Amino acid sequence: MSVGHIARGAEEAGIATVTVMIEAFEHRAREARFARTLSTHFPMGRPLGAVHDRERQRAVLESAFNLLETATEAPTIERFGQRWRNGVTA
Amino acid sequence: MTNDQPPADGQVAESVAEFLASFSYGSRTDLNFKFLKSLDDEAAKEFIRQLFDAVGTAYDTGQLDAIVESAVAAQIAGYTPNPDKRGKTILHDDGPFHRPTKPLNESRVGLLTTSGHFVNGDVPRPLVASSMPQDEPIDRIGDFIGSESTLSEIPSGTATDNLRVRHGGYDITSAAIDPNVCFPIDVLRTMESDGTIGSRAPTFFSFPGATAQGKLRKVAPSWVDRIRDEHVDVLLLVPV
Repeated sequence: MSVGHIARGAEEAGIATVTVMIEAFEHRAREARFARTLSTHFPMGRPLGAVHDRERQRAVLESAFNLLETATEAPTIERFGQRWRNGVTA
Repeated sequence: MTNDQPPADGQVAESVAEFLASFSYGSRTDLNFKFLKSLDDEAAKEFIRQLFDAVGTAYDTGQLDAIVESAVAAQIAGYTPNPDKRGKTILHDDGPFHRPTKPLNESRVGLLTTSGHFVNGDVPRPLVASSMPQDEPIDRIGDFIGSESTLSEIPSGTATDNLRVRHGGYDITSAAIDPNVCFPIDVLRTMESDGTIGSRAPTFFSFPGATAQGKLRKVAPSWVDRIRDEHVDVLLLVPV
């Protein structure tokens, strides 16, 4: 996967990584053994949620960062618990 | 009775496989649906049937949930590889794992995405012009994949309306309207302001992910060094 080499290098350099990706790519996180991955049941190109939906985008990041506390080994993969909702007008 | 008809004499029917493939860098290119080429005929037909059913329901309800769900489910089916056709996938036996040494609200957080964002005026040459409709990177997707990628440095205080995006591998419509759908610069700024994270790195990073693995493996060590220069404790990665 496109960030796989960076993720491995960062972990080896002492930087804790957490990756957010759409569920369709989840198998790649497993194959590349990413340290911590949150997958979202969202359309490609919008892994954090719909346009201007700051509440949902933040909820995704909070779930992702929570893996920094809960994950104990690579690969740890969790699915974001909320489904897609439509974008909001800016 | 059925309306399924064979082609008239002298006409060559487009096969279902050809129709599906046309959405992926073909005559009907639509990056939201390029996964169709990976579905078998029956799966694709069922997806289209479900999609139409969901549209019909939306006429009455106004709810788009079922439409999006049918597309996302088909997308997962399209991208999830058949275990019998693994191709050149690189499998790792182990994964490095560094435990955070401080809580998140004391950590400096960095960001790297494959969304292809860059600051207006900081044109990531040689493959990008200052203004780039999506058609150009789509037409030049082979050039992108075969070239060494440019890592764009984006000051984390950059206003989102001063960001631009180019990419030939995904539909950039949402990413251009609101970068936070895949480059969460505003969200991280808010999380810094309210103390959820300790601080944000001075510089965030992005590059177009549609790049050959060999090229990325070559540049990865120098990119990691660049990220280390930001003195981050945590790196958020968003492959798009």
